[in-house]
Amino acid sequence: MIQRLLDTAGVSFAYDRDTALADITMHVDPGQAVALIGPNGSGKSTFLKGVLGVLPVISGSLKVLGHDRDFNVGGHIGYLPQDDHIDADFPVTLRQVVMMGRYRRLGWFRFPRAVDRQAVADALTVTGLSSRANVRFGTLSGGQQQRGLLARALATKPDLLLLDEPFNGLDQPNREALIATVRELKSQGVGILLTTHDLDLAREVCDSVLLVNKRQIAFGPLDQVLTLANLQAAFGDVQVEVDEHKVVIPGHEH
Amino acid sequence: MSLSEALSSIFVMPFMIRAMLVLLALAIAAGVIGVFINLRGLEFMADGLTHAVFPGIAAGFALSGQEGLVVGALAAAAFATVTLTLLSHRRVTSDTAVAIVLTAMFSLGVIIVSRSRHVTGSLEQLLFGHLFTVSVTEVLLTAGICVGALLLVMTSLRGQLFSAFDSAGAQAAGYRELTNLLLLNIAIAGVVVSASIAVGNLLVLAILIVPGAVARMWARGLAGVFTGALLFAVVFAFAGLIGAFVVSVSTDVAIPGGAAIAVIFVAGYVLSLAFRLVIQQRRRAAGS
Repeated sequence: MIQRLLDTAGVSFAYDRDTALADITMHVDPGQAVALIGPNGSGKSTFLKGVLGVLPVISGSLKVLGHDRDFNVGGHIGYLPQDDHIDADFPVTLRQVVMMGRYRRLGWFRFPRAVDRQAVADALTVTGLSSRANVRFGTLSGGQQQRGLLARALATKPDLLLLDEPFNGLDQPNREALIATVRELKSQGVGILLTTHDLDLAREVCDSVLLVNKRQIAFGPLDQVLTLANLQAAFGDVQVEVDEHKVVIPGHEH
Repeated sequence: MSLSEALSSIFVMPFMIRAMLVLLALAIAAGVIGVFINLRGLEFMADGLTHAVFPGIAAGFALSGQEGLVVGALAAAAFATVTLTLLSHRRVTSDTAVAIVLTAMFSLGVIIVSRSRHVTGSLEQLLFGHLFTVSVTEVLLTAGICVGALLLVMTSLRGQLFSAFDSAGAQAAGYRELTNLLLLNIAIAGVVVSASIAVGNLLVLAILIVPGAVARMWARGLAGVFTGALLFAVVFAFAGLIGAFVVSVSTDVAIPGGAAIAVIFVAGYVLSLAFRLVIQQRRRAAGS
């Protein structure tokens, strides 16, 4: 059997002592993309942070890249955070930011070698940012910064890639480029877990869906999970985008 | 002594050589570490540390004179660093934590000073340093502490940079935020302690904060910021030392070395700021 990149059984994560997300049982296999879907504040980013080892596991089990702890020291996980906390004035070039993706592999002292510089150059090419490499990161446009952080995640040459709202703020060409990148990574055997609001997008690039709202609603193949009953359970009485139509899911009426 | 005699004697007199060695060590450490203070916005934390070290200096001096200075300062710095780092890492807002520890420790220092006549007389020296009368032991201690502080930051350089740029991303990459912050704060405390001897407790902040801030105004990349801060710190520290010495011997007005250096640093900052504004004005005028 192929080794699972991410494998959880009833796992719960907490901020301090408040449980933020409970009872998640899911897995990501090599070459697979999983969409993590839920309303705002439903614990999507929490799940990514839990998988990264930033939040403690309070119950259940979590296996990442075959390890159940200290799995994030070798730099084999790529992560794209939501780009909302970065100091625009910080004196680093885009290339230096992307090189940060190599830091864990470089360790404390080793200088970047040809293989590291090549990984950075490749990541910049894939994200279409090669010509901007020596520009200060803060002077890039919002979409370019987002792609720059994606390049940083790609430069790690990850086995598992976690993307937090990667399609936010992307225009159509960039969106298509990102879809192509995700497909290419999948064909290389990379496992991908991405959060999104966009069900269309999930259908386009993902193999399965994890639907959450503070706890697991459903996990499995797209057509089995994205049912009206499940979406209603996750989103309650709010609008959900289904097939480019705004669909108002009726609330519970008992 | 004439001006030219004074100038030519600078590099021969043992006390001047000791002062230069102390300043060189301090400028290098403060230049590099100051950049991290700037990048992580830890100026207020650094201020808190300088004030928190004061009771240690006072107590050390009261108990065993000049020799006790460093021991007391180190003890107070160790306590304050751990307390401040933990408090700022918890839910307490960083600024609140720093303000409380700063005030508490500084008041303690003032109480110690006021209870001991022996110390009261030397208050000026405690606050403003004794650059021209540092002993060989103090030179070695300062150099040792500065090298140690630099090693702490340099060995954790990548984690420090990553955390400063994007702390969520750094944590996600497996860097421990608390470890990084503690290492950096220990390094800052090291510079504060060693600088307290030479330039004094109240003036440390200028040396720590100005070089990084000035370099940040001009440099675009990381290499430029570090090089700029280092150059500024070394050049302006020597300028301050030589200026204080020359004025003191040629006019018979004794100028404290530490104060002269702080003034020169701040003057450098103001000049740099003014220059920057003029250039921006010109660019705007040219662009319109």
